[in-house]
Amino acid sequence: MPPPLRSPSVIPSTSCAKQLRKTAQSRSFSSTPQRDQRATRARRQFFRWLGTQGQNFLNPLPNSTNYLSAYNAAGQLKRVVEAASDRAERSRQSGGTSNSNDNNESGGGNSNGELPPETVRDLRPFPMNPAFVSQPVLSEEMREKIWERIMKKGQSVREVSASLGVEMSRIGAVVRLMEIEKEWQRIGKPLARPYAKAVMSMLPQTHYRPDDTNPRPHESINDLPLHAATGAQIFYPTSESRHFTRTDAARIFDDNLLPADDRVPHPELTLMHKDFKAGMPQEQILARQRAREEAEAKRKQAALDKRKKDREEVQIVDNGRWHFRFTDINVDEAGKDGRGYRGVGWRYGVPSMDRSRGAIKIPTRVE
Amino acid sequence: MVVRIRLARFGRAHSPFYNIVVTQARTARNSKPIEVLGTYDPIPKPPLDGEGKPWKDIKLDIARAKYWLGVGAQPSDPAWRLLSIAGLLEPKYRPPPANAQAQKPKEKA
Repeated sequence: MPPPLRSPSVIPSTSCAKQLRKTAQSRSFSSTPQRDQRATRARRQFFRWLGTQGQNFLNPLPNSTNYLSAYNAAGQLKRVVEAASDRAERSRQSGGTSNSNDNNESGGGNSNGELPPETVRDLRPFPMNPAFVSQPVLSEEMREKIWERIMKKGQSVREVSASLGVEMSRIGAVVRLMEIEKEWQRIGKPLARPYAKAVMSMLPQTHYRPDDTNPRPHESINDLPLHAATGAQIFYPTSESRHFTRTDAARIFDDNLLPADDRVPHPELTLMHKDFKAGMPQEQILARQRAREEAEAKRKQAALDKRKKDREEVQIVDNGRWHFRFTDINVDEAGKDGRGYRGVGWRYGVPSMDRSRGAIKIPTRVE
Repeated sequence: MVVRIRLARFGRAHSPFYNIVVTQARTARNSKPIEVLGTYDPIPKPPLDGEGKPWKDIKLDIARAKYWLGVGAQPSDPAWRLLSIAGLLEPKYRPPPANAQAQKPKEKA
């Protein structure tokens, strides 16, 4: 059954306005002087608004946002009016073959009775501030799916972020909050479900659509984070023949600054898109991506193994107060003259440069 | 002359750092030794994983230390302490056991 749609312009229901006006006149206890209660233009306009647009906010729309800017002066949903006029236009162009249907749908909405989707115009709570657009939040089922993919299926945060179009930091936050929620459910702590339901019914949401091959992303996930080193405006003269890349640009900003391609949250998407631009078939792009992921995993594992091995080589003795960490070394690494770079120990016959001119004597950091 | 295993203090004021050295007993403290066996940093470092006890770093060539002990090098008291912590020597000074006073009368009785 289609949701009941009100159309205040067709049946002007001014009961609310009338009631308000009546109560205002019958207030014998009001201390406002009588001349201030007279029917000014502003008051008349206010009561007219209550009868038209205001009605929509007395009984809000179910399953939709309900912002001021979504309604026209007559109190009708702009998107419903537009959809109806579009349909009328289309039927007129097609030559009046489906005239009989139009009368049934005069209430607005699609042929199956659903509201047309909101546009950016409908998501502005403050009509005077067009820059403020209500942003969608993750729906309950979307958050559940994110938690399931990370905690149950063991996918990486990066992977889930790229496939669902949700920022990695948000994925982390969702997983942490879902863990808390599940913990509360486990220990029987009551959740504020009615509150959550009420808030979620009022906000635009991003829903989980598994069957959609190209779903709209929740937010922009591959924004380049600002780095303090890139704040300066640098005019760098270079020869025209030089192949000047982003890597070179990064090096000019700072010696240790990575190029923008590596600093974005999802560099793998950039690489995949480069492959796509090179005209590779889809299977090859995916295969190359998988190879890169495997190499990365192998590199990480090797680093972990090395760290573990280094830790195991250290002999730890607990004397009650401290841990003494003994590292076995080889005296021969100091070399014949005792100055080999892998040698251990304070060196002999080498001047200490810490009092020379220009050396910083004040510590630059505290540990 | 006696060959000793001892500590040579390097580092700055209030930030000591020691080389564990094998050297002739009568040479100056920081003179060039026969061999540098390792180092001892007596400044405790905060625990690596954020919990547990603070730690002190000792780097030591255990094989060479064993060799020098085997040929009769005599560790100084601080060096003896470090080598005994590493398990190369019997500790010279042991703290008296905490319940020593309590146990003695029992043995008599």
